[in-house]
Amino acid sequence: MLLYVFIRGSMGLRRYILTRIGLTLPMIFILASLVFFIMRVLPGDPVRSALGPRGTAEQVEHMRQTLGLDKPLIVQYGIFLKDIITLNFGNSMVGGHRPIIDEMSERFPATIELIVPASALALSIGIIGGAVAASKRKAVADYSLRVYSVVIYSLPIFWFGLMLQLLFGIQLNLLPVAGRIDPIVRTTLHPVTNLYVIDSLISGNWPALWSAIQHLVLPTVTLGLILSGVFVRMTRINVIETLQADYIAAARARGIRERVVVYGHALKNAMIPVITLIGLQVAILLAGAVLTETIFNWPGMGGYLVQRISTRDYTAVQSVIAMFALLVALISLAVDMIYSLLDPRVRY
Amino acid sequence: MKKLQILLTVVVAGVLVLSACQPSGGGKVTIIIGVTDQIASLDPADAYATHDWELIKNTGEGLLVWKPGSADELVPGLATGMPEVSEDGLTYTLTLKDGIKFGDGLELTAPMFAAQLNRLLTIGPSCPNDVADALAIPYVESITAPDDSTLVFQLKAPIGYFPQVLATAPYLPSHPDKFPLEECVLFPEAPIYGVGPWFISQYTQNEQLVLEPNPYYTGERTPQVDQIIIRYFSDPQTLSLAVQNGEIDIAWRFLDPELIDQLRGVSDLTVGDIAGGFIRYLIINHTLPPMDDPNVVKAFAATIDRDAIVDTVYKGAATPLYSMNPPGFLGASDAFDTMYQSPDITAANEFLAASGYDENNKCAIELWYPPDHYGAATAAWMELIKQQLEAANFTVELKAQEWSTYATALTGGESYQAGVLGWFYDYPDPSNYMDPFVYNGGLGTNVALAAVGSDYGEPINDKAQQLVDLLTQADVETDIAARTALYEQAQEIYADLVVTVPIIILAEHITYRPNIHGSDAYGAVETLNIATNLEFNYSTLTKTP
Repeated sequence: MLLYVFIRGSMGLRRYILTRIGLTLPMIFILASLVFFIMRVLPGDPVRSALGPRGTAEQVEHMRQTLGLDKPLIVQYGIFLKDIITLNFGNSMVGGHRPIIDEMSERFPATIELIVPASALALSIGIIGGAVAASKRKAVADYSLRVYSVVIYSLPIFWFGLMLQLLFGIQLNLLPVAGRIDPIVRTTLHPVTNLYVIDSLISGNWPALWSAIQHLVLPTVTLGLILSGVFVRMTRINVIETLQADYIAAARARGIRERVVVYGHALKNAMIPVITLIGLQVAILLAGAVLTETIFNWPGMGGYLVQRISTRDYTAVQSVIAMFALLVALISLAVDMIYSLLDPRVRY
Repeated sequence: MKKLQILLTVVVAGVLVLSACQPSGGGKVTIIIGVTDQIASLDPADAYATHDWELIKNTGEGLLVWKPGSADELVPGLATGMPEVSEDGLTYTLTLKDGIKFGDGLELTAPMFAAQLNRLLTIGPSCPNDVADALAIPYVESITAPDDSTLVFQLKAPIGYFPQVLATAPYLPSHPDKFPLEECVLFPEAPIYGVGPWFISQYTQNEQLVLEPNPYYTGERTPQVDQIIIRYFSDPQTLSLAVQNGEIDIAWRFLDPELIDQLRGVSDLTVGDIAGGFIRYLIINHTLPPMDDPNVVKAFAATIDRDAIVDTVYKGAATPLYSMNPPGFLGASDAFDTMYQSPDITAANEFLAASGYDENNKCAIELWYPPDHYGAATAAWMELIKQQLEAANFTVELKAQEWSTYATALTGGESYQAGVLGWFYDYPDPSNYMDPFVYNGGLGTNVALAAVGSDYGEPINDKAQQLVDLLTQADVETDIAARTALYEQAQEIYADLVVTVPIIILAEHITYRPNIHGSDAYGAVETLNIATNLEFNYSTLTKTP
């Protein structure tokens, strides 16, 4: 999309895109560097953490050399930067010492498979709910949606997820509470993309598709509903403001139906700040995914990050944060592109 | 409004259809076991974690094996009988049974077995998890095969417990195609064949591992179901919910005491308790004042109320421990109970008074623990111990420290007077529960100071010397009765010196659904034939429709 916008856009738009990319790269560099140094300032030693009390001095020394932790900090930092640039994240410092890129390639699709439908759900509820609230201002629907948005946004995600598990998983026994797919069905699925819904569609494995969708329901609803609150509020405010504009009054004066005025004219124009909010919410979405993945035993990047922070696995933590930063930066960039297309004023 | 009604109807119908679509197992009888462990290595020359060993032992078989459901009955596995030991105790000879095959049909010969085992001695020390430096390098000089069915282990020194060592995972044969002689392979591609009852047909890291029966297996542990799936969980709470709603058949390690308590109340689940080998104890640095004073450490030992810890913190999911050598192990005794009958505050104050401490001059100590390592319960029982000690003439400052920093300082004998640690054996023998805390620095106890060129270090007093002598005698003694007597004596001196203070032995729990059963042919049926050595044989499991 970025390339399309760049090629088809005006000179001003191209300049804007290049400037945004120019700002994104230092942002990722600063964030990655911060993570590198913070991890090393924090108390805790990955070698001792891995070897425990039984590790001998020789074993500790051997492991330090293997992991490159015996080198001066500045040399380690240089290697880290080189690795980031070449997308060679090295090996994990604990457990199986597997290449980080392998671990991320297994887990990243799981996170994508969770956050995409969760975002879609949050946006659908947020935009429709916000528009309805604005159009029924000071009516029961408006008050109800405002209360909903505040309550849902303030719920602790782990508590909300647990309640859904207990209700739909344990009491009603309607939906699974853990994992991405039924373990028995999983033995029949041969992943290509590691996005199980896509993989089961590609292979025509319908039991796997049903199972993957079933397993998606509770984590998606948990994450999606929590995030929908802020979109309801943002959309409502912007639609209310837009409804007071002159061109809306003109539309009404021309006898255009109220539904068309609200959903056809006002909502479209009110979406510009909401789109900006989507970019900002990506980081919150990823943070929410960390908790959601833990609650639902979803083997994604969030659970991986938590696990590796506790073992001081420097390389894994650095790589995941860098990956998250890259993702947030790219989505922010994409949002800015859309924004600049929708509202040319931002480019000039 | 009508559109909304239609939409809602579609959503509700969709949910009902989805919930009705139950997966079929293709006619296979499958048992799903949930764990919060992770796989660290599948290479027998490298793996050094309990879960890794469980997988290796189910896909492989040792020369000697623990009988399922038993923690004290070592029986021949791949070997035709128990080892022949030379008079000097340095040579162990075993004969392989005929017709042992890997899951792909490859026959196991003694030269192949010896070559694979020698990986421990050659590449083992450079493997990441380095089990070789703990269980092979200190003991074994060479492993040879003079003919197609004979294996000879030449030891560096006589070791009375070498049969137990032989039953550990590193001494199981590995497939030469998956585990080449020149490198350790932590995660070979599936299928991974061993000579045991199962082979690994598929695995996805952090998600699941699938085991299927080895078609060439002729041993006693014949699988009773078509498939075992190990499902990996990151959160104990989710593991507990999954066994409740039937997504898994068995919830294995680890569930917190609170979750176990909740599961006991679920009507169709069985919770089996296993007094496993995980212990918690307090380590004392005998060279740092005031812990260098024998009266202070005796007062310390006399103060601890283990029953209160078990009842208050673990709600019965642990057992008081009165010797480092846990119940069920060779020569296990209640030495600390016999000697101190703790809690005995009067006796504790008398010990303290002998060193000049009283109500007006209390003995100040620091007690350390790692809040991030042994679970939330640790902070609770350390607080309880503080209260118990302060009921006598101690003042206690509780200090928390991040695990890796803590472990380095405590076991390095550097700056901590006392702190909590946990332990689980490598091989089920009292030597593994006592030697490490005495020899060469004793993981920070300093009862025998680490000395270069010495196997045992320099004992700090006559009693410590006596303890080192007894333990070294017990290490090489092969006569069971004589070893038992030596460990009984050693435990008394250990308690007298208060080398460490054993506190509790944790119970492990296995929770399973009503259609899962263990085998009546072996012991510990209630716990699916898992005995106190925590060996879980998947082959004894059955599942009724």
